[in-house]
Amino acid sequence: EPKKYRFRTMRQNLVESADYLDDQIESFVPIVQEHYQLSKDDFGDPTIQSQSEIYAVGRIVPDSPTTEGFLNPESLALETSRISGIGRRISLNLTEVNDFSLFCGQIVALKGKNVSGDYFLVTEILSLPYPNSPVSTTEDIQKLYNGKTDRTSKIIVTSGPYTPATSFDLTYLAEFVDKVNTSIKPHAIVMFGPFIDVTNPLIASGNLPNFPNVKVQPKTLDEVFSKVIAPILSQINSKIQVVLIPSTRDALTKHAAYPQDSFNRNILQLPKNFKCFANPATFQINESFFGCSNVDVFKDMKEVTKGGTITLRNRFDRISEHVLNQRRFYPVFPGGIKKKLISSSDSKDKKIYEHLSGADLEVAYLGLTEFVSSFTPDVMIIPSELQQFARVIQNVIVINPGVFVKATGVRGSYAQLSILPANIDDGKLTKVESPDGEVYLHNVWKRARVDLITI
Amino acid sequence: NGIDTLQPLETTVADIERFKDSSALELTCPNCANKFLFGGIIASNFYTMCYNGLQCKNCEHIFSPLQITSQLERCIRSHISLYYAGWLVCDDKTCGTVTRQISVFGKRCLSDGCTGVMRYKYSDKKLYNQLLYFDSLFDCEKNKNQLLKPLYHSGDIDYPISSLNESSIKVLSEQNRDLFETNRSVVQKYLSDCARRYVDLGSIFEFMRE
Repeated sequence: EPKKYRFRTMRQNLVESADYLDDQIESFVPIVQEHYQLSKDDFGDPTIQSQSEIYAVGRIVPDSPTTEGFLNPESLALETSRISGIGRRISLNLTEVNDFSLFCGQIVALKGKNVSGDYFLVTEILSLPYPNSPVSTTEDIQKLYNGKTDRTSKIIVTSGPYTPATSFDLTYLAEFVDKVNTSIKPHAIVMFGPFIDVTNPLIASGNLPNFPNVKVQPKTLDEVFSKVIAPILSQINSKIQVVLIPSTRDALTKHAAYPQDSFNRNILQLPKNFKCFANPATFQINESFFGCSNVDVFKDMKEVTKGGTITLRNRFDRISEHVLNQRRFYPVFPGGIKKKLISSSDSKDKKIYEHLSGADLEVAYLGLTEFVSSFTPDVMIIPSELQQFARVIQNVIVINPGVFVKATGVRGSYAQLSILPANIDDGKLTKVESPDGEVYLHNVWKRARVDLITI
Repeated sequence: NGIDTLQPLETTVADIERFKDSSALELTCPNCANKFLFGGIIASNFYTMCYNGLQCKNCEHIFSPLQITSQLERCIRSHISLYYAGWLVCDDKTCGTVTRQISVFGKRCLSDGCTGVMRYKYSDKKLYNQLLYFDSLFDCEKNKNQLLKPLYHSGDIDYPISSLNESSIKVLSEQNRDLFETNRSVVQKYLSDCARRYVDLGSIFEFMRE
């Protein structure tokens, strides 16, 4: 599994990217068909004229390839797969639908008809079924806890940057490590990058200071980590398991694309209680499944919404539901980009931008960002620059721990998860009959408490 | 097609030709915030390579190794990120659509009725050459033998007033060898992951598999 992330970067193949984008549409056809009990004949090609109402599955795209910036309900189109509509795109008429939230890259199932040949008149947007939650058997759970049913597990989640944008001061991190060892005493810490952010303005201005207390000054950013940051992290009590998940903005990796290979623990010179995972990663702590992804979907997803019941809802809830629905951690396509205006010459339409950073999607490999075995995680962690939060959405705990230190140097936040042990007798697990006998839903959301704490 | 598309082996192309589309490395002086282009050990109105490293001519600040490598690394990463932004361009000159949309038939142009072929605007070849260009700037042998792509041409506003003689370039290359090797290691870190450098034998000999 982790080996699949070890592909070499910087060689995108347009045909392979397109193959994946086509597969993505096709993979949802059987899901929709089965869930709504439709037959193959109910589906049609929405791009051609027809008198009857049909079902269609496709991707939401802008109605013009050169559209940039904000979209509205009148400027959306549906892209068909190679099989369903030879990849053609058709404008959507959404006047008959009252409530929706759509975004570019979203796979949707629509009901409607194309009477004139110019547009597809949508009469209904079919909601996609949520994927199943993972389950455990009685034996699994008994083995995991081995009778120790009184032990609450405590997990800390942090997300970079760990230094302000105005200095390379690591006092907060050192303070935090001390607090972890003496007062928090968690069982595990999940730390998201960036540890050294290549987009930090101090790096752009060349303004890296001398580091006190270091005998030989670091000559590269990699050495800044191994000589300055690693010694601080290594102070974390060796009984605490630490998981590191990279960011594509991390200087410590040569793999600058998402999905992203894990760090190399030996190069970073970290002790054995550190584990390096890929981005995104799905792993288990006891019975609970954690889905972790480090691309800011909460910031990048620009929805086109309509209707009061949709618009008035919490935006984080809507985006989390989209992620669960789409079964992948970053369903936005094309991925977000961040650019800076460097000059706008006299004629107003000529603006020159400098590219700063982006989601850096390696499209052909986006299959690695789909939910593992089509199960939802019990806990989904997607760090964001936006306000920290923890919410329960469709029985999944969704967490944004917030940044550790704000750019201005103001203290940021971390998340603390306390999960009661799974106990078959206390009624908090739901029994489900399956072909393999009795299994239990984990119901982590009923047993967990999340605190968002200022560092 | 035919003879027009005949291309010389990439390894035999001279650097000046190969790097003609590569963009220069811009450094900022940490002390006086002056921005200038770095082109190896060459004459420049903005910096000198002295015995102790890179010096800003404006304020005489000498860069620490980290102050160069970190800017080099950031510059490499912004190129990689721009590459991954995935801008496509249509090769039909009457269309020329530029977009980040990809059709499920990758090469098909999304403009109505256009039969042009879509390509990555920032190709992997261009990115690879860009990395090789950065590598050449810190290559002591290429510096000594003055094989670098020139930054300025006579007539440019910034064309250097003074020039450097051959022997001082040789001496300075040796004296800055450690610094240059450190910078090269940063470029090599990314070159080692660049798939363009490696031939995928598996895919070439796929037809032999049963």
